[in-house]
Amino acid sequence: MKQFAALLRKDNQPVRYLVVDDSVFARKNLIKMIEMFGGEVAGEAGDGLTAIAEFNRIKPDIVLMDITMPQMEGIEAVERIVRQHGDARIVMVSSVGYQENILAALQKGAKHFVQKPVKPEVLYEILRYVLSDDPNAVNAPVALAGEHHS
Amino acid sequence: MSRPPEDRNNELRALFFESANELLQSLNEAGLELEARPADEEVIRRVRRCVHTLKGDSAACGFHKLSELAHELEDVLTPQIAQSRMGDLAEVVLAAADSFAAMLAAYQRRLEPPAMEELHSMIRKMLEVPASLEAVAPAEAQLPARFAWTEYEQLMISEAVHRGESVYNIALRIDPNSLMRAAAFQLIRNVLHGSGTVIALRPEDNLAAATVEIVEAALASTQSVEKLSQRCRIPSIVSDVRIEHAATADSAEHELLGDLLEAQAAKVVAGATEPAENGVASKAANAGSAATTVAESTLRVDATRIDAVMNLVGELIIGKSMLNRSLTEFDKRHSHDPVRAKLADAMAFQARILDELHKCVLKIRMVPVEQLFRRFPRVVRDVAKQCGKDVALEVSGQNTDLDKGILDSLAEPLMHLVRNAVDHGIEAADERLVAGKPARGTVYLNAYHQGTQVVIEVRDDGHGIDLAALRARAVEKGVIKPDEAQRISEQDTLNLVFESGLSTASEITEVSGRGIGMDVVRTVMDRLKGTVQVSSQRGRGTSFQLRAPLTLASIQTLLFRVGGRLFAVPLSSVVEITRIAHQEIHQVDKREVLRLRDQILTLVRLEHLSKLRSIETQPAKKKSFVIVIGAAEKRFGLLVDTLVGEEELVIKALPTEIVSSDLVSGASILGDGTVVLILNVPAILSRLSRATPLGAIA
Repeated sequence: MKQFAALLRKDNQPVRYLVVDDSVFARKNLIKMIEMFGGEVAGEAGDGLTAIAEFNRIKPDIVLMDITMPQMEGIEAVERIVRQHGDARIVMVSSVGYQENILAALQKGAKHFVQKPVKPEVLYEILRYVLSDDPNAVNAPVALAGEHHS
Repeated sequence: MSRPPEDRNNELRALFFESANELLQSLNEAGLELEARPADEEVIRRVRRCVHTLKGDSAACGFHKLSELAHELEDVLTPQIAQSRMGDLAEVVLAAADSFAAMLAAYQRRLEPPAMEELHSMIRKMLEVPASLEAVAPAEAQLPARFAWTEYEQLMISEAVHRGESVYNIALRIDPNSLMRAAAFQLIRNVLHGSGTVIALRPEDNLAAATVEIVEAALASTQSVEKLSQRCRIPSIVSDVRIEHAATADSAEHELLGDLLEAQAAKVVAGATEPAENGVASKAANAGSAATTVAESTLRVDATRIDAVMNLVGELIIGKSMLNRSLTEFDKRHSHDPVRAKLADAMAFQARILDELHKCVLKIRMVPVEQLFRRFPRVVRDVAKQCGKDVALEVSGQNTDLDKGILDSLAEPLMHLVRNAVDHGIEAADERLVAGKPARGTVYLNAYHQGTQVVIEVRDDGHGIDLAALRARAVEKGVIKPDEAQRISEQDTLNLVFESGLSTASEITEVSGRGIGMDVVRTVMDRLKGTVQVSSQRGRGTSFQLRAPLTLASIQTLLFRVGGRLFAVPLSSVVEITRIAHQEIHQVDKREVLRLRDQILTLVRLEHLSKLRSIETQPAKKKSFVIVIGAAEKRFGLLVDTLVGEEELVIKALPTEIVSSDLVSGASILGDGTVVLILNVPAILSRLSRATPLGAIA
């Protein structure tokens, strides 16, 4: 298998991920890749509602979010998360047929999207790009997390 | 105020066709320039702007075939292709202009536009990059970006630059492997918005992005080029990035300012050549022509609305002279009344404003003949090409103003004359060389004001009209009898060209054999109450002069009485007024002449010319007034009984049924209801020269 240089946060800690997908298999697949990139899976969710709760609890650096899920669709989850956390980095994971939904998610504040079946090298580049957005933002989740708890 | 949407649609359609035709005209002009300077990037940009606007407009009107074709054409309009193909690109542009015109015509008649296969293949051929180019082409050629921002966007850019922001032109190629282009575009949009202020973006919406490969944006940002470039390289979305500084403050402003200056200069040029009449300002005007066209498109008003205003102003002028007369009367009765001065002041003020108003309205209706002339370079080129001749067109006096209505009527006869000049007038190159002339023939177009007329000249340096052949043909067609042909004068023979069915062309060509004969030229000129004159010298060339009046115009005139009737002559043609004693009048050659400062002046008595019966018999006076009238280089003296004064008259053109004499060009009504006849100076002059041998008119 191809080797990837570890993707790390500015403070050299592993990047923390929240993986949201109703398919356990898809989640496992993504988690395997995240581990290849030197990341840490901080949480998992099988629907939008749980995803929001998990986001608030663990304050991940990156969310990988499926579009179609029971209870609450990915788009709505994106909208609610971004409304509370403007700097949340959410990458949509979806099949090609859902262009409309991806468009909507992007308009709601998702940072990027990746097509299923996810190829590790593609996801790696996308994650690297999303993580590099604003130099200040890389440390932000940590600071925010502290604020939130106080 | 809401109108039915259909009404509004029709208006939009009309507006589209009008502006599309203007665009086509500009495209033709730019195409011709491209032919002359194939590698000039500025010209290519101009062509592209035309095509781009046409594309956008036609898409907005739902004319998709046209818009698609324009889009295809846009792709080949790059300096690289122009350089590698040299002259070919101009050919494509001109062919495209024709195709667009054909499609527009079809749309206008609500027909399905013809498929332009030929043009499609021409464009495709241009896109086949020659092997040599690929090696030479720099990296950026792989990402052809146009950055064709609208004027508004350019303004925004220059304002942002002015505020000290850095503005970048960014071009991104959406990864060809991307299956979700709309989403990709949305993401690009997000990234751009996250990196600064997006001033302009192409395409403008997600829908259009589905078919687009390259995204262009103008972005004001505080980030460095490196950082931006990094942000723009969105993995799996963007495959190629090009970032460059948008026009810096200097150049952007300079461009805008330059446009303004150019427009100003054009105005100055127009103003300067107007009084100079036959100005040779063609070169300067050429430079300003682009600016004039810009000014043209500022406001569109239905001509009938302007006519309505014009008529009202005419009535106001008559009202003014009524008031003036009343004031004079009041003056006589109450010369010491202090109200009088107040009235006079108010009158003077009102008169001044009215004068301004009148001038303004006149100006609105007047358009430079440039509007008409600019279509001829293309006509000459095409006709010359069809006949295999080399013909240049020289244009002068294009800033001469002319009533829009007249201008439009002149289009057809002028088109005919120009085509004729190229097709029949100019000889083939070898024939010209034998005759000792340059191989390249020239057709001259000139316009100037002369008194109350505008003269448009079409001249060529070809072989002239073959009088003998013309006579023979006239006899053959039964226009004149054989014995008449023996006696007919040279000028009268030349005038035969205006008879219908007469053509000396040995063959009917595609170019001129279009069923429009020279008789149409004369018919139109008659309708305009104008004239057409032809002169020709064998071996030297032919010249046609179209003269049209400036109707609806009001003019400053000199009023005078002859035999108790009131007449007027345009003040502009009055050279001087003198008073002479009867013994100063001499008889020469059955004509009365006057010696005025070493010059012999033919004297004209209106009553003789027009068999006018005197309605009052004037007691013979010892002294009479002579109005010296001049037109061109000719002068004559008009003997009049009394001078009445200067008056501004609104000319009401008279229908031909009412006026049997061409000596009167129009009539007007004075404030007191008196009718004044306005003399037609050129007609009197030509009457004189016909009746007298040359030399009698000094």
